Amino acid sequence: MSAAFIFGLLFALMLTGMPISISLGLTVLTFLFTMTEVPIESVGLKLFSGLDNFGIMAIPFFILAGTFLTRGGVARRMITFTTSVVGHFNGGLGLAGVAACAMFAAISGSSVATVVAIGSIMMPAMVEHGYPRRFGVGVISTSGALGILVPPSIILVLYGVSTNTSIGALFMAGIVPGIMLALMLAAVTWFIARRNDYPRMPKATFGQQFHAFRESFWGLALIGIVLGGIYGGVFTPTEAAAVAAVYAFFITVFVYKELKLSEVPKVLLQAASMSSMLLYIITNAVLFSFLMTHEQIPQEMAAWIIDKNFGVWTFLFVVNVILLAAGNVMDPSSILLIMAPILYPLATKLGVNPVHLGVLMIVNSEVGLCHPPVGLNLYIASGIAKMGISEITIAVLPWLCAMLIFLGLITYVPEISLWLPHMLGML
Amino acid sequence: MFLRILDRLEETIIAALMGAATLLTFVAVLHRFLVDVPWLYPILFPIRLAWTQELCIYMFIWMAKFGAAYGVRTGIHVGVDVLINRLNDKWRKGVILFGLLGGALFTAIVGTMGAKFVIELMGTDQVSPDLELPSWIVYACIPLGSYLMCFRFLQVCWSFWTTGQLPHHDATNVDGIEVVSDKAPIAIGEA
Repeated sequence: MSAAFIFGLLFALMLTGMPISISLGLTVLTFLFTMTEVPIESVGLKLFSGLDNFGIMAIPFFILAGTFLTRGGVARRMITFTTSVVGHFNGGLGLAGVAACAMFAAISGSSVATVVAIGSIMMPAMVEHGYPRRFGVGVISTSGALGILVPPSIILVLYGVSTNTSIGALFMAGIVPGIMLALMLAAVTWFIARRNDYPRMPKATFGQQFHAFRESFWGLALIGIVLGGIYGGVFTPTEAAAVAAVYAFFITVFVYKELKLSEVPKVLLQAASMSSMLLYIITNAVLFSFLMTHEQIPQEMAAWIIDKNFGVWTFLFVVNVILLAAGNVMDPSSILLIMAPILYPLATKLGVNPVHLGVLMIVNSEVGLCHPPVGLNLYIASGIAKMGISEITIAVLPWLCAMLIFLGLITYVPEISLWLPHMLGML
Repeated sequence: MFLRILDRLEETIIAALMGAATLLTFVAVLHRFLVDVPWLYPILFPIRLAWTQELCIYMFIWMAKFGAAYGVRTGIHVGVDVLINRLNDKWRKGVILFGLLGGALFTAIVGTMGAKFVIELMGTDQVSPDLELPSWIVYACIPLGSYLMCFRFLQVCWSFWTTGQLPHHDATNVDGIEVVSDKAPIAIGEA
């Protein structure tokens, strides 16, 4: 009963277009005020204590690092490097785009940053070399979604914080699926390019490849710092994120000189504003999950599922359907913050590994990023390529199909996500 | 005039907190490494940096509260706009105003609860665990930030009522990268 009231009110408020954070907060206040005896004052405290966690602070740091890295330089050098390596195959620039997105994803935690950084350079370049615009948009807007799967990933941090799962283990779990998805997207790119005989780039000499590698080395080193640092136990994920932010500042301002010192305050403001928005959703999502726990809603759902004898197979199927449906109206971080605290207790009751559930939720979010009406990647690509949304929607279809197949694999073959963390002894 | 100062103050506070928290955490990590270097040990060992983690968290919470208010002004807080974009103009205007007033109501309630809480704390001598700052100063960000946010919601509401314009955050617009977008990114109605 109370569950129906809570969700009904939440949906009604969300449909008015009010910010998701405010809808969550108002739902909690209304429910507590009208239906329970919980002192409302405890809510005020939760708004502070919900953020009082050093793990969450990885998010602003990763956003800051991403904002610095998006300012050119790093992305362009990575593109030059990947083009020199794979450019001479069928659909060379497309393959180079996938590879560059995967690489950029490994230093930035967001897919928006990845699409902007790689897309704004790669899409015009592809058109210039005689690729159809649709092809370029399809490749980049789907590969950009790798940004949240390949570690570091802001969404994985959110999942780790809201379910108390090790962020280090989640990061390691994202590596194999990330590489696999990159390969699948590259395969689709290669097939389409070969069938339509898209242009190839001249083969680069070893010397050119080495030069391009050395140029992009500063950016690539960040992968080692973040992942190596976390895996080696040198830093906590939050510290790694802070180091990444300072390092990104250093290379964009002093090594690649793409940013003037006087522009740094603007970058700080931009990152601070983006982080505050996410942190604000987090505080309200903490309130909401406090309400869920207080009303024992996940426990009741778990009891119901076990009572009905649903297997893991059905459960995961239903989870996918719910998440894909939610991906039609909400952005990934909101979906994750609302759903993770509900799904996590159900999953653990059914024996689904929390790390597996995390990767599954991320892949669902990726699909949501690549289809309308709220697929942010498409809107960004549409801004860069100056194409209408409906045309882009058709353009991404082949890659989106590959992603759905990938989602099936991730759902029913948990070893893809769990193998590496197991090998590294993190689970 | 007052508004311009408030705007600038808000921007300066959140950008400064972001930069300061990053440097602080970086220095703490650096310190932990360098303290193992033999000849630096005598200099660095006496410097205790255990409090940095707490300070970093507080700085980010303050940033989040004021940044959220800044976000209302710049329209960065995302909502579900699938339905309202399909409504006719009159309904759309009403629903959007309802949403904005809902935001103002929520932040006003939270601000008032926070203010009560802070006033209660002022009567005690409770301090934060590591920094030993009086707790009421630390928690003061809840009423201050929420009331500011409430004010911003009312401001946006007023300008929407009079001009019909909403602040619009453009995710495709990244400074320093030349992306020419002649279309609003969230123009779902046209798609």
